[in-house]
Amino acid sequence: MIPIRPPLPLLLLALALLPTGAAGAAASGPVQRDHVVVELVSAVEHVQPGTPFRVGVTFEHEPEWHTYWQNPGDSGLETKFAWTLPAGLAAGPIEWPWPERHRIEHLVNYGYSDQHLLPVTITPAADLTADSVTLAVKADWLICRIECIPGSAELTLSLPVRDAAPTPSRFAARFDATAARTPEAVDWPAAFTTEGGQFGLQVQDVTGLDASRLEVFPAHPTLVEHAVDPFVALDAGTLQVVQPLSPFFSRTPDTLRVVLVDREAGRGVEVAARPGALESLGPAATAASGEREPLALITVLLLALAGGVLLNLMPCVFPVLSLKAMSLVGSGERAGRHGGAYTAGVLVTFALLAGALLALRAGGEAIGWGFQLQSPGFVAGLVYLFFAMALSLSGVFDLGTRWMGLGQELSGPDGLRGSFFTGALATLVASPCTAPAMGTALGVAAALPAAQAMAVFLALGFGLALPMLVLSLVPALARRLPRPGPWMVTFRQVMAFPLYLTVVWLLWVLGNQVGSTGMSWLLAGLVALAFALWLAGRTAGRAAAAPGQALAHVLIGLAMLGALAAWLNAIDFEAPGRAATAGAEPWSAERLAELNADPARGVLVNMTADWCVTCKVNEAVALSTDTVQDALDAYGFEYLVGDWTRRDPAITGYLETFGRNGVPLYVVYPPGPDPRPVVLPQLLTPGAVAAALREAAGE
Amino acid sequence: MPNRPTLLLTTLLLSIALSAPLAAAPVIGEPAPEFELTDTAGTTHRLSDFRGRTVILEWTNHECPFVQKHYDSDNMQDQQRTAAGEHDAVWLTIISSKPGAQGHVGPEQADALTASRSAAPTAVLIDESGDVGRAYAAQVTPHMYIIDGEGTLVYMGGIDSNPSADPADIPTSTQYVLAALDDLAAGRAVAEPVTRPYGCTIKY
Repeated sequence: MIPIRPPLPLLLLALALLPTGAAGAAASGPVQRDHVVVELVSAVEHVQPGTPFRVGVTFEHEPEWHTYWQNPGDSGLETKFAWTLPAGLAAGPIEWPWPERHRIEHLVNYGYSDQHLLPVTITPAADLTADSVTLAVKADWLICRIECIPGSAELTLSLPVRDAAPTPSRFAARFDATAARTPEAVDWPAAFTTEGGQFGLQVQDVTGLDASRLEVFPAHPTLVEHAVDPFVALDAGTLQVVQPLSPFFSRTPDTLRVVLVDREAGRGVEVAARPGALESLGPAATAASGEREPLALITVLLLALAGGVLLNLMPCVFPVLSLKAMSLVGSGERAGRHGGAYTAGVLVTFALLAGALLALRAGGEAIGWGFQLQSPGFVAGLVYLFFAMALSLSGVFDLGTRWMGLGQELSGPDGLRGSFFTGALATLVASPCTAPAMGTALGVAAALPAAQAMAVFLALGFGLALPMLVLSLVPALARRLPRPGPWMVTFRQVMAFPLYLTVVWLLWVLGNQVGSTGMSWLLAGLVALAFALWLAGRTAGRAAAAPGQALAHVLIGLAMLGALAAWLNAIDFEAPGRAATAGAEPWSAERLAELNADPARGVLVNMTADWCVTCKVNEAVALSTDTVQDALDAYGFEYLVGDWTRRDPAITGYLETFGRNGVPLYVVYPPGPDPRPVVLPQLLTPGAVAAALREAAGE
Repeated sequence: MPNRPTLLLTTLLLSIALSAPLAAAPVIGEPAPEFELTDTAGTTHRLSDFRGRTVILEWTNHECPFVQKHYDSDNMQDQQRTAAGEHDAVWLTIISSKPGAQGHVGPEQADALTASRSAAPTAVLIDESGDVGRAYAAQVTPHMYIIDGEGTLVYMGGIDSNPSADPADIPTSTQYVLAALDDLAAGRAVAEPVTRPYGCTIKY
């Protein structure tokens, strides 16, 4: 350590000889340490009992050297103060001005260079009687250029105490300048998630910041990968930030302070974000943005239970269940057992679906609740199922009622099994309703550990089963239901219409997946299905030998085959516009090999999927931009896009060759013979892609 | 900038779905990246050579004050001896500084450092290219990793819980590597498998 500079001892001596108080502040003055001069300074000339005042340590760095912010970034160490204060004085935390972003080789650090001041508020007691107070602080820091040197200094400052309003010192202007660069604490509602390797932040009611130049500094170390620029979007007062998590992220802080800085506007704010699912955007979300404490598990479970009860009213569930309820009424003392079997059916099915979801998630799959709906085959199957159920309720045919558990077999040996499967069916048909209605609630579940997530799903299932269970266990309640009678026929037929609407909704989902051509095929299939079921309904009561019966059976068979063919055909289509990124060609191993064989052409490969947020963000902010498109043209690159929205073994194999099991994956093949592929980062900026292309092209 | 429906969709997807995993860093509970490096005696070591024994990786740079904090106080050497003596563990000290950068040493100098500091690693491995350091996403010195006998990564992070350069802080800090070795010896899962690494940036 270099000792104090030669002139300073003299200065200090002179200061020490001055009577304390008479000459204002006495202090250890500027102290030279490795590559930095530090000094403890005050914003006021004297202390007034009971009036808080600011002191702080100034850092004058040598050029190129810097010290660190409260979150130092990928490496480095935050500056720390340890105060020794006389009785009656208390020091607050460092009031950090917003930091600079320093990129050092492959890492990014947050800190300060040149000169800066770290202020602290000191609160003196109102009954302070001393004539003067001496403040002492031990400051520890790490100062770095590329190499780093820990620094430490014990600094003192004496201030007179007078019962008069404090007068500003010669350092007051520096305190003011620092205050202007210190983020203002705001109470904007903010939530963050750390799921799936990404830090996601959402802040609402944002005003006075420009997203295009917004810098985001989480105050918590080892949260994000600082070296990767975050994706920042601000729209209608809602800010969205996505950044990869640090590999050394270990635990979620209870409250995360995030500093948002619009340097050009000279404005910075600090928000306090809570862990929790990001809200879907909309007026309701904004209106209900009051106090948002993290939900306790028991609260989540109760909410899930209530949500499950509400599911009974969903258009896809109510018709099935209301009729089931009617049939229970007549079953007397066996009703309780049916209720139990039904509940078991619901819970087992929920456990299976949730188990599959959690297992897939543990395997790194990017899925959420409602993942079944990602498969067009499954959605198309549901369309048929709901349509057939609706036709059955409309009275077109009568077959469905048997396995919907509505028939008289309740008293038979298969009755309990029937109730179990009614429960399973209820869960299955409820799933398309849960996806949109329960999305946010289940988002919370998805963020929980597996055991707790399973508990939430089971609570939801139990809620779904509960009304029926209560009805079956409390005969008094069941007796209060309307007596079965001819009105039930009307009721059944009315109940068909919510099911038809559910079919419409499912067709809309399917249309997004397979386009209008695919959807038309399925509609044709529905007509065939309707014909088959209508004919089946007409011929059901007749004797096998009745005239035309054989022909009817052939026609039914043909129509069912037609419906099946339509189903298979429909799901083979792709909605237009999928992966239709500007200037892109669909990826195939053959096409890639063909282009690589051409020494004049380079290739940019983009492996993407509709459900991959990072992919969509990258395409929106980087790959589709003119900068990248121009670079592709300028350097002679072809752009191949592989769509992994639906599982594709060829793409899975390609990902594996790069050691990946998920998207996005961006690979640049330089022009020239036998090109060596270069993998791009998973978060892209237009400039980075253009630079990578330019470099690959050797220009 | 995305329009509102896109933003809404992004939010929904973020809250419901989970996005793709990052491939860059090793993952606790998964097989640790295999490597092959030459030690100061010219012997080649592979991670898989030590299957059946616990392996500790220590990234180091003798000129780094944070490394000096733990060597000048004998904290690192004590841990090396505890690991070998009580846990029959393999301790590999790895130097990833590129030639000419701070902390880069040749085999003789590395051996001299080991002797002068009375250090007791199983071997000191030279990773001039930085490939192994990057495979482990090692960021700083010291940066510690523990791999169990089955080749599974069970710990990565700092040497202890107090990010400072002051040796006086060591007695009051949690020594994460020793704690993890105790957990492994007791057949428990490592209580804190990921911690904040602190120290000097590795000079790749």
